[in-house]
Amino acid sequence: MSENLTLLALFSDVEPASRGIETLHELGLEDKDINVLSGIPLKNTILGRPAAKTNVPRIGMLGALLGLGLGLFFIQGIPLIYPLYVGGQSLFPIPPTLIISFEMAMLGLMGFSFIGVFIESRFPSFEPENYVPEVSDGKIAVFFSCPPDLQNKATGLLSTAGAEVVKPVEAQQL
Amino acid sequence: MAVTAKALPHAHAQEEHEDPREHLMLDPRPRGEMNAMAMEAMLSTNWKFWLVIVILAATVAYCLFYEWGVLIFEGQGVAGVTRPDYWGVFLVDVVFWIGISHAGTFISALLRVLKVEARRPFTRAAELMTTFGLVQAGISVFLHLGRVWLTYWMIPLPNQRGLWPDFHSPLMWDFMAITTYLLCSTMYLYMPLIPDLAMARDRSTGWRKLLYRVMALGFRGNEFQWKHLTTAMNIFAFAIIPVMFSVHTIVSWDFAMASRPGWSSTVFGPYFVIGALHSGIAAVLLVLFLIRSTMKHMDYFLRLEHFDFLGKLSLVISMIWAYFYFNDYIVPWYGGGTIEKTLLDFLARGPASPLWYAMLFCNIVVPWAILWNKNWRRKPWLLALVGIAVNIGMYLERYIIIPVTVTITRDPFTWRLYHPAIEIPITIGMFALFLLLYMLASRIIPLIPVWEVEEGQAAHSLRKLGKTEVVSLSELE
Repeated sequence: MSENLTLLALFSDVEPASRGIETLHELGLEDKDINVLSGIPLKNTILGRPAAKTNVPRIGMLGALLGLGLGLFFIQGIPLIYPLYVGGQSLFPIPPTLIISFEMAMLGLMGFSFIGVFIESRFPSFEPENYVPEVSDGKIAVFFSCPPDLQNKATGLLSTAGAEVVKPVEAQQL
Repeated sequence: MAVTAKALPHAHAQEEHEDPREHLMLDPRPRGEMNAMAMEAMLSTNWKFWLVIVILAATVAYCLFYEWGVLIFEGQGVAGVTRPDYWGVFLVDVVFWIGISHAGTFISALLRVLKVEARRPFTRAAELMTTFGLVQAGISVFLHLGRVWLTYWMIPLPNQRGLWPDFHSPLMWDFMAITTYLLCSTMYLYMPLIPDLAMARDRSTGWRKLLYRVMALGFRGNEFQWKHLTTAMNIFAFAIIPVMFSVHTIVSWDFAMASRPGWSSTVFGPYFVIGALHSGIAAVLLVLFLIRSTMKHMDYFLRLEHFDFLGKLSLVISMIWAYFYFNDYIVPWYGGGTIEKTLLDFLARGPASPLWYAMLFCNIVVPWAILWNKNWRRKPWLLALVGIAVNIGMYLERYIIIPVTVTITRDPFTWRLYHPAIEIPITIGMFALFLLLYMLASRIIPLIPVWEVEEGQAAHSLRKLGKTEVVSLSELE
């Protein structure tokens, strides 16, 4: 059995791109065989694609909890280790606890959300990937893998759907 | 007496017919063309640009670094601080630069949360001010500390004295808040920049290609990368707003927690926050004017509608600032003690009165006199002048709050006017450093978030309603 080919269909607009993806579905290709690249974020329903899942909020919440814990350690734990009485104030006062734990929780939330983008997107990634620079010029690139015997049919149908280019591609260095 | 009735003119006859293409969102150009414009703006330099860079670099080298070396070598005696003014211009600079830094977050995050479309072309220019403003504020803290080599005592690590920082102190709250804000606003600047860095990567050669390739992290724009990025940006947009409010509130507590005349005020937190926004937005007006006047193609992205919008925002914030200032003023004026009243007299009729009246003129009279008029709000040079005036006014406000107020203590025999010495060249050096960093950054990173502009243009359209066309807005993500 021959290996699947990776093809690129390049569209100038959303409308033909969504028709093209529908065409690929009609040819029997599954969503996992299709990868869409665009110059702006598009709601998945616009192109008829399944919703992309992300764990960034969960990773962010984990960071918030860790930050909260670290903040509580700073404000409650340090006076335990090094008690320092100032101006007759309590060693474990509540208002400064709220301030420090808030700042650290927010730092944790945003810091881990940022790290979450790296983890989830597998950044940095400098390996060769399927890409065309026209994406950053606003084109919509649809990469799909299909059996070689479907290539001609897919090319014809996608061109009819409005693809500017349909061609086999190889991963390239960004 | 006969009365002649006159027909009222039809309302629509007086209406101005506005060309929809005056609005950036309704005047789309192909993305490739906008990319080329953003790149050309970034890459075009001439000898005048480099001359300004050399002058600024020389100013930074002498006024900031050399003079700071003198300050470190000689000690704080070469500064104007002495009893009772131990908090001088360096702390004025801290508060001023933190104020400037509020503009980026306010414009980028709050307007993003509220889905204000006018924000799109100038969010990055404002975010960049946040990051560089906080760098300046950080440097000012070190200047004020004096013995900068002991700064690590602020870090929660056991030092050679076996002591940990006291987190019960407002100064430590400040350290934590500014650190959080600096780190988070830098991340918030970087994330929306990634797609534009990828665009720059695709259009560059040589060292720039390598730089953008590394900085773009391998971004391609697939559905997952967009999803992760936009989700994180939404988290940041919501989370950084309370951090922004907390930072300047905590800065205000550095003063308000002390039971000192002129400082001990419950209104100081919100008053400082609104003051920060006042100076920050005024600084954005000035920076946008400079960008639009000096960089290629920026008149396409930064339009009169944006100056009009920011002018209105600045006017409203000026009014809120005046409201808070009046609140802060009238309570000690009406029922304050002898020292409080002496301080107010010192401002209104004493040696500090020129500063006080100049502050009120710059912060209230100038914006109110100019920004109410729509035609004037659409003159970028006039708004730049308002921006300069408000920033002078806000600097004076911080100067009055810190060294001037500290002059009037409960021990009249210590009263003494503060005269800055080495603080003056160092402050000039810091302004030069801000401009230098900003100008260099404008040649390395795209100042216009092109993908956000394209997203906005794709979401806007005109639809027929009755006999006219109205703007229709769609949600794309």
